[in-house]
Amino acid sequence: MLEIKNLHVNVDGREILKGLDLVLPKGQVHAIMGPNGSGKSTLAYVLAGKQDYEVTAGSVTWNEQDLLTMDPSERAAAGVFLAFQYPMEIPGVATMTFLRAAANAVRKARGEPELSTPEFLRFVREKATALKIDPEMLRRPLNVGFSGGEKKRNEILQMALLDPSLCVLDETDSGLDIDAVRIVAEGVNALRSPDRAMLVITHYQRLLNYIVPDRVHVLSDGRVARSGGPELALELEESGYAEFGDAARNGAAA
Amino acid sequence: MELPVKQFQTRAEQAYVDLFAAAEQGLPGAGNPWIADLRAKAIDAYAALGLPHRRVEAWKYTDLRSRLTEALPLARATGVTVTEAELRQALGVEIADLRVYRLVIVEGELRADLSDLASLKTAGVEVVSLTEALQKPPRWLKDTLGKINAQDRDPVVALNLALMSGGVGLRIGKSITLDKPVHLVHLDGGEPASVVTRSVVLVEDGASLDLLESYGSLGARELQRNAVTEVEVGNKASLNHIKLQREGEAAFHLVTWLVKLDTDANYKAFQFSTGGALSRSQIYAAFTGEGSTLDVSGALLMRGHQHCDTTLIVEHRVPRCTSRELFKAVLDNEARGVFQGKIIVSPGAQKTDGKQMAQALLLSETAEFDSKPELEIFADDVVCGHGSTSGQIDEDLLFYLEARGIPEREARALLIQAFVGEAVERIEHEGLRETLLKASAKWLGVTFD
Repeated sequence: MLEIKNLHVNVDGREILKGLDLVLPKGQVHAIMGPNGSGKSTLAYVLAGKQDYEVTAGSVTWNEQDLLTMDPSERAAAGVFLAFQYPMEIPGVATMTFLRAAANAVRKARGEPELSTPEFLRFVREKATALKIDPEMLRRPLNVGFSGGEKKRNEILQMALLDPSLCVLDETDSGLDIDAVRIVAEGVNALRSPDRAMLVITHYQRLLNYIVPDRVHVLSDGRVARSGGPELALELEESGYAEFGDAARNGAAA
Repeated sequence: MELPVKQFQTRAEQAYVDLFAAAEQGLPGAGNPWIADLRAKAIDAYAALGLPHRRVEAWKYTDLRSRLTEALPLARATGVTVTEAELRQALGVEIADLRVYRLVIVEGELRADLSDLASLKTAGVEVVSLTEALQKPPRWLKDTLGKINAQDRDPVVALNLALMSGGVGLRIGKSITLDKPVHLVHLDGGEPASVVTRSVVLVEDGASLDLLESYGSLGARELQRNAVTEVEVGNKASLNHIKLQREGEAAFHLVTWLVKLDTDANYKAFQFSTGGALSRSQIYAAFTGEGSTLDVSGALLMRGHQHCDTTLIVEHRVPRCTSRELFKAVLDNEARGVFQGKIIVSPGAQKTDGKQMAQALLLSETAEFDSKPELEIFADDVVCGHGSTSGQIDEDLLFYLEARGIPEREARALLIQAFVGEAVERIEHEGLRETLLKASAKWLGVTFD
């Protein structure tokens, strides 16, 4: 279970999260929605452990482990996975080399044996096929020259490979056409399980047609302003974020 | 022409002239007027120029006069025993295991006991020890030594010609292609000494060669190395020329390659440097026949107080030639990297295509990288360009890797390896390429599958 209590976070000296509370039980999928600047991406980064995100108060625990004291790689080993809104391009590192390094690093940290080369290749090939990833792509440098859709599918491939227990998807639908959203959503749905919790961060309701959440939370000004069932997302699609004080309109940034 | 009288500024500057005067009669080829004349002219040229210092533009960032405070005695070939284990230790295991024809030079002397002379001969390659050949040079050596893209205005090259005590002559006859690379090993540092060697490599028309030159130390003793390799790549010939510099921390390394390319020739060089206290690698290359290509790249990984200077001077003397340069510097602590790249396009050298790029990754606040491109273009129909970047490890990339479970230290190493890899990838010979990637991983203190 993910438990966030009274979380306050500063970025560049400005308070972005202002007392956020959230409980995400194992086996559930929760959506985080909210206007631009409400703190959605900040929450994603804080969970993954990005530096320069200063936690000034509150706590975050995952299965009773304090996440805030861990390095990003330790969090990954503990089961946290962040699917990035903007996956990084790394020239000079072949995608396959990266996948292998990541898979071995988390397995080692979890005390599991490393995958043998044939096992690893079989696993990657299988998942890549399901996600309609061209095997040729895996030989190229990580995310270099990949389309927006390819990058997001690559994120889901990594998610499958690292076998996380807490998945945080940060605007995974942004910049994707409807076919790409469907492929990515199918990849995510294939990973839904009673042992896995997922936090799906999105600005739009569209993605939630494909990844149907158990709960929806609306973030506003660094706090959860409202929570409800999947119908809350549909309601927001109708009414917009006006009642939650669309921070973007006031010139604030995420 | 009367040479200007030079007022020597430092003890070391004078010491080299004294060294020459004292050693002259004992140097190889002393009785041979051809050699005596070459040496005499060269020491005069040096005496007129003196040791280069920071007010000499080409040595702006590497002040040899202030760094070289004494001249160590000239190395004498003593026939010291070098065991296979010492060789492996000095080269690094991954280098020692390469499948090559090996030629080993110790204290300037080509060592038959450590070299594959017989198999090279069988393969049709002519190898001579310079120590012996200076006494009685074969025709081809006499025609080329000191003449291939000669640089009379470079004091280090001049000093080399005056004081050379050994090296090899290597001649790959017409249309010969060897089944494996030739590995020329320069091994020194037993006793504190100046080691001055000169080698000549002829790749004749239609021939091709992979040549690895590695420079290592037998110990951490003081070493002042001045080595020159003269290279001629014949018509439609091809040379892949790799340099590996991993000398001890007390070594001064001054190595110059003088390269001449004939028509439709292909020269590809890669220089990999991790050793030495102060190193300067110079390549002077000249296109003398049309339709040739040159690709020079390299990586230097330095830490502590190491100083590593790469200086390239490429002369497009004829039309329709292409040159490419890519250097990567990884600098930690107070290490300093220098890249100077000069491209000269002669009048009439139309359709020249020359590009260079130097990039540095600074791992500390106190590391320094100086990059100086110079283009001298006297033709109007050419494409020339240069670029230089200097930066730190991208924290966002680092976070991305860490978020995937890769611990920080490994993630940093992976990013540095990727940075260096972009240049190493240009090495065509797979075994050499893999070897250098392993060597850079070793420098980083990690291993990659």
